[in-house]
Amino acid sequence: MSHASVSNQFTDADGFYEALLDAHSGLSAPESAALNARLILLLANQIGDIQVLRECITLAQTA
Amino acid sequence: MLNTSFTPHTAADGYQFSQGAGYVLPEYAAVVPDAVHTGATEHHRILIVGGGLTGLTLACSLAQLGVDCVLLDEDNTVGVKGASSRGICYTQKSLEIFNKLGIYERIAAKGVQWSVGRTFAGNDEVYSFDLKAQAHFSLSQQPAFINIQQFYNEGFLVERIQQLGHAQIRWNNRVTLFTNAQGTATFSIATPGGSYQATADYVVDATGSKSPFRQWLNVGVTAKKGDDRWCIADVRFNTHPPLERHTWIEAPFNDNRAVWQHLMADDVWRIDYQMAPDADAAYVSSLPQVRERLARQFGADTKVDIVWVGPYAYRSECVDAMRVQLGTGAGHSQVFFIGDSAKVVSPFGARGGNTGIADADNLAWKLAAVVQGHAAPQLLDSYHPERHEAATTNVRVTNRTARFLRPADGVEKLFRTATITLAKQHAFARALVDTGRMAVANPYSASPLTDKSVALCTSVQNVALMWADGGADGSAACLNALLRWAGSHPLLLVFGNLQGELGLTQANALRQLAQTSGVRVVQVLAGMNAISKVSTMRTIRTTNSAPHSPQQGSVQAKEAVIDPKGQLRQACGVPAVALLNGRNTPSRTTNQPAAECHWALLRPDSYLAAQGNQVGARLAHAIALLTTGAHP
Repeated sequence: MSHASVSNQFTDADGFYEALLDAHSGLSAPESAALNARLILLLANQIGDIQVLRECITLAQTA
Repeated sequence: MLNTSFTPHTAADGYQFSQGAGYVLPEYAAVVPDAVHTGATEHHRILIVGGGLTGLTLACSLAQLGVDCVLLDEDNTVGVKGASSRGICYTQKSLEIFNKLGIYERIAAKGVQWSVGRTFAGNDEVYSFDLKAQAHFSLSQQPAFINIQQFYNEGFLVERIQQLGHAQIRWNNRVTLFTNAQGTATFSIATPGGSYQATADYVVDATGSKSPFRQWLNVGVTAKKGDDRWCIADVRFNTHPPLERHTWIEAPFNDNRAVWQHLMADDVWRIDYQMAPDADAAYVSSLPQVRERLARQFGADTKVDIVWVGPYAYRSECVDAMRVQLGTGAGHSQVFFIGDSAKVVSPFGARGGNTGIADADNLAWKLAAVVQGHAAPQLLDSYHPERHEAATTNVRVTNRTARFLRPADGVEKLFRTATITLAKQHAFARALVDTGRMAVANPYSASPLTDKSVALCTSVQNVALMWADGGADGSAACLNALLRWAGSHPLLLVFGNLQGELGLTQANALRQLAQTSGVRVVQVLAGMNAISKVSTMRTIRTTNSAPHSPQQGSVQAKEAVIDPKGQLRQACGVPAVALLNGRNTPSRTTNQPAAECHWALLRPDSYLAAQGNQVGARLAHAIALLTTGAHP
């Protein structure tokens, strides 16, 4: 069974962070929220495994 | 009688707000038992309260198994007086059960088959499915679904019960009082001719979602509050929409709320409109409003007959115990909750009536086996864990759908919008679109009747077979025919031939098991060329069945079947290597000792209880579980 990883897996952490901020720049709060929702669903599908996803949700809740 | 009396009304505008005025339902004669006049207290082994879909399915199942029971119904007709349960969609498992009971042909002739469903948001189709393309529906003799008005099935069951005998339906018999008299269930029952008293060993509460037994027995109920309300309109058109299920998550013609479009028998369509949270239900369900919505949906030129209209508030609740014992000693009464008495779910995925039918199917053989004396009363202990798991699963699944279809303002709405947006472009997001997950035969993960040989106790489909003797009486074989023959006994399927010395040893062991345990043994052969090799099994057949079989004349034909495409083997999860004979493994047909004897043990409700490849202690243990109801 897989577990959520908390070690660094990014190939380019700075590049991702910049792309994320760029995607939100100029958006209203509701537009940003909608973008985030779509993004979460897309990213969640990359993970797929329900166990890992539940662990990610818990990690986010307890951070 | 039935066909003419079900004629739909054509006086479209004569509908009544909360009554089934759209159909003329058959009426049955009130029953006034002798006890009303004699004052004697009746006693029944099995008393079913409530003659809806589940109560009638149970009564018919018991009658089919040759077990007497009495069913009380408070009115004198099938169908619903009022705006409650009006199921329309019956799953493959329910249709298989109806096939076992002998009413499937009538349902198939009257109802409408469908397999294509489409889901829309706004003016866009989000996705579609075709159930025919899904492999897990393909092994059965019955289709994935048939849509038909619930009262037809109820009417067919009533007439079948009248044919079978054993079950006595008492129309216009209303339970007015229930007491637990030192462990004995005691009833006061009102009839048009007066009242009488009755006691019963096994009471079945099939009174539906307003069950008074929950309170009488102080049974806990786990409920989830919801405020989703819908307006149901059953209509006929002068046009013919495609024979598909259409669902709109956001329908432009219903102020972007959900709409369901289902087909039924008699060219009647059910259109469900989701109401706004603050809507006035009476106004939304008023004829001018319904007509206006229909005109928006189907065009102003479409002529519409309104058969029935009513509002519907969804509920979600489940009793905490589906079996209550009225005392601790032997001989005390027990009460079983089945159907909506046990759980109420929103109708998404047709998980209401279909699980009620399955409740009845689960309970019937257990009651029969106990009453007929070939199983211990502990067998009944398995009803709650199995069916409560099914009930809670169905509650959970329908609650998820309800949350998708009526998301709370804020983040729930946000994620639904994101899901729909993505689903229009990407396949992955369609998996998140939840307009109802269609009912299935619920598996049992912790059944006390299943040993470790099957990870999950699942239902085996009604596979088509051939009689090994060619079908002397002209009937086609199928798994249900074997189950019907086995009655309330477990059915042991033995795959392939038992050859050689070791085969003979296994055959002898089988014969002994059959004699001592009452299990019914059927040999499943791989192909036509295996017919000549049945000699070993014949010994088992003749010695096992003759004393017990209710159908002595046809015993020989029913105890060896051919599974030409290996579908029954597949459905039972038995590996192909099990075929020790026939065309699959020709090299092992002769002189080779059979090291293995693959078998599958089926319960009378077609669930797979155990499987194995040796006739030995493990098989004996698996059979014992089904007759004692507990691990010895």
